[in-house]
Amino acid sequence: MNVKIDTEGAFGSALVTLEAGEKFVSEAGAMYRASPNMEISVESRKKKDEGMWGALKSGIKAMFAGESFFLSTYTPNDGQAGEVGLAPTHQGEVRSVKVGPEVWICSGGSYLGSSGGITLDTQYQGLTKGMFSKEGLVFVQASGEGDLLVNGFGRISSIDVSGGITVDNGHLIAFTEGLEYTISKAGGGWISSMMSGEGLVMKFSGQGKVLVQSHDPSRLGGVLGPLLPPREG
Amino acid sequence: MKYNIVSAPSYSLVELSLNEGESVIVEPGSMAWMDTTIKPKTEMKGGFFAGIKRKFGGESFFLNTYTAEGGSGNIGIAPGYSGDIIVRELNNETLYMERGAYLCHVGNIETSATWEGFSGMFAEGMFGLRVSGTGLLFFGSYGDVQEVEVDGSYTVDNGYAVAWEENLDYSIGRSGRSIRSFLFGDQLICRYHGSGKLWIQTRSPRNLAAWVHPFRRVKSKND
Repeated sequence: MNVKIDTEGAFGSALVTLEAGEKFVSEAGAMYRASPNMEISVESRKKKDEGMWGALKSGIKAMFAGESFFLSTYTPNDGQAGEVGLAPTHQGEVRSVKVGPEVWICSGGSYLGSSGGITLDTQYQGLTKGMFSKEGLVFVQASGEGDLLVNGFGRISSIDVSGGITVDNGHLIAFTEGLEYTISKAGGGWISSMMSGEGLVMKFSGQGKVLVQSHDPSRLGGVLGPLLPPREG
Repeated sequence: MKYNIVSAPSYSLVELSLNEGESVIVEPGSMAWMDTTIKPKTEMKGGFFAGIKRKFGGESFFLNTYTAEGGSGNIGIAPGYSGDIIVRELNNETLYMERGAYLCHVGNIETSATWEGFSGMFAEGMFGLRVSGTGLLFFGSYGDVQEVEVDGSYTVDNGYAVAWEENLDYSIGRSGRSIRSFLFGDQLICRYHGSGKLWIQTRSPRNLAAWVHPFRRVKSKND
């Protein structure tokens, strides 16, 4: 397996080469190109032993995590190597991170794809945390071993945390398991926090890595939405 | 004539330096800036019917010709979307492209609509654009544009193909055969066959529009 990230700047994408027998998974709809021997199938997020009800539950969890209900899987079907290209919706960079032994936790909208050796699980943040986090109720946990692809709106930066860091909700892409976090106001009282426009932030502590994006997609949506004619409810 | 593509692939723009008497034909709306020596002229290239055919191909009825008069001059040309621009020297060759990919050309090149059949309806519309002749052609799209050398066949997601050489043909299909993908998967895909070059974009305006949709205000009774 080889993951090649194309172009820095506004239009990052990933071209994944798979050997016979290898598998890659992506958010449904992320594929923009593929070699003809690539078998593309759409499946819900399902664990082997959980059956129909489990599949439905995990599908709903994925929906809340800001991802499509379904994942696409790619496998070369003729014993030869094949390739598949994956790209996000937004302008911005794509980055590949190694999973294993580190476990990564990814915000819902930032997950692009992962290799077959990675186990994906959706995580509730707990009621109060989830309610206040703009990133959705659920994070996607990637464990096992392989490559995880994430996309960012704008530039992606990696921060080594030793001690602590505060990240605005909308700018978080992913972080390594082991970091503790709390969701809180940016600072001062509730009023000054709201006035500052920062709203809620995630305060990380401990040792690990955090990936952040330079821009917050929901702010672009907030600017564009009111400029468009109203939609049917 | 000299050209330079700046800020590729994110915000590409073509800078052309024209000697006196040289001209460039540009898709209307794509001229960004120009020297005062560059004189524009709007015309129906190839007459009325050629204009109609272009119109069906998603391009403009009129084409603008910019000519350097009374001295050399520079002109900057950029498409409406941010993305990559591809330069292609045509030598009595034909390219097919999706609607809206054409940007400008120098030389003897004709653009006209092609009927893509009903299969094309599921792609970017029933008509494509046929570009043929001899000269320098500039085209582009939203996102990075990647060149693929097809030998046999290749799969592209619906709406991501930008242009292809005339030896390539395509058909529209669904990914996989499972009933699941039929019911839930949105994946209508284009399969290109033959041998030749194919250009693919890495972002979809349609996906962006779909993403913005939930941010729109919900219609109330007072609207």
